[in-house]
Amino acid sequence: MTSGAAYPGDDPRQLLSSARELASRVRQTQRATWLPLLVLAAVTFAAIPAYHAGHHVGSCVSVRGGRICISYYPAAFVYWPIALVLAYTAIAAFYIRRSRARGVGTRVRPYVTAGIVLALVMSGVSLAAVHHPPPYGQGLQVAVLARLISPASAIGLALLVLARTERSRALVVLALAYLVVVLVPVSFGWVIDEPAWFFVPRQVIDGSVLLLASIGFALAQRPWRQAA
Amino acid sequence: MTTHPANGLDDVVHQRVRLGILTVAHEAVRVEFSYLKDALGLTAGNLSQHLGVLENAGLVSIEKGYAGKRARTWISLTRAGRAALAEEIARLKLLISRVEQGDGAAG
Repeated sequence: MTSGAAYPGDDPRQLLSSARELASRVRQTQRATWLPLLVLAAVTFAAIPAYHAGHHVGSCVSVRGGRICISYYPAAFVYWPIALVLAYTAIAAFYIRRSRARGVGTRVRPYVTAGIVLALVMSGVSLAAVHHPPPYGQGLQVAVLARLISPASAIGLALLVLARTERSRALVVLALAYLVVVLVPVSFGWVIDEPAWFFVPRQVIDGSVLLLASIGFALAQRPWRQAA
Repeated sequence: MTTHPANGLDDVVHQRVRLGILTVAHEAVRVEFSYLKDALGLTAGNLSQHLGVLENAGLVSIEKGYAGKRARTWISLTRAGRAALAEEIARLKLLISRVEQGDGAAG
């Protein structure tokens, strides 16, 4: 099985560069980053009615100058795990169908599994946080913690898994940027006292980032660009 | 005295088309015959010959089935195939680095 000649076949440089070029072409064929981003943007926008459906006020504590209460949205607790599981199932079905049509398999299972597990874990942790709220008086830490266990954060972390699966640096950058947007309290100076509308700007920002990214990836991964 | 990296090359793998088949099969979970044919620019007969060599060496597994009414042939890499590909790539890199370092025996 071994060869005694120094060059039994082609030139090593040519062989290696041809193998790399083939691998790159296969990855381009496999990538469909726009679809998960589009589906997750839709899921994010569709969450707005769930927040608008009503909220409950949980435990309150007295602090200097008033009271702080935990407010939660029962419909959102039901919506997110169901919507995300359905979204990841749809994404998996799309990738499988596409890989059959194109003749190239795709390793979508790690992404879908990570997405579903993260969605369920974060929903559970969020639910637990309502019944066992973190100590008050650490406003910024609590705000970041609340965002860290949010569905948006679960989406961002799962996108990092997709970036690894698709070996896409662009998606790594996008996923990290999205996580920054999710974790950093973004405000344009608005003041929303009405709890039914409190989460709307958040959902609009997160959904818009995903939607714009989906459009960007769709343009970048156009078939005619791949052929060029 | 060290062994020259070319001495460890596997004749089954150290060939442009077969290395290409293994590379594509490695990137995809499994790849369809017609995709491989187009990607490598081969005729069906030529590709079948190379696949036969790889299958006999235990480096790929070939699965035949149907997608609707269309007959399909799917190729996937075996564990031995993954190891052989990794070994080939490592040896190619070593060969290239030897050449770049001015190793007369390699060039």
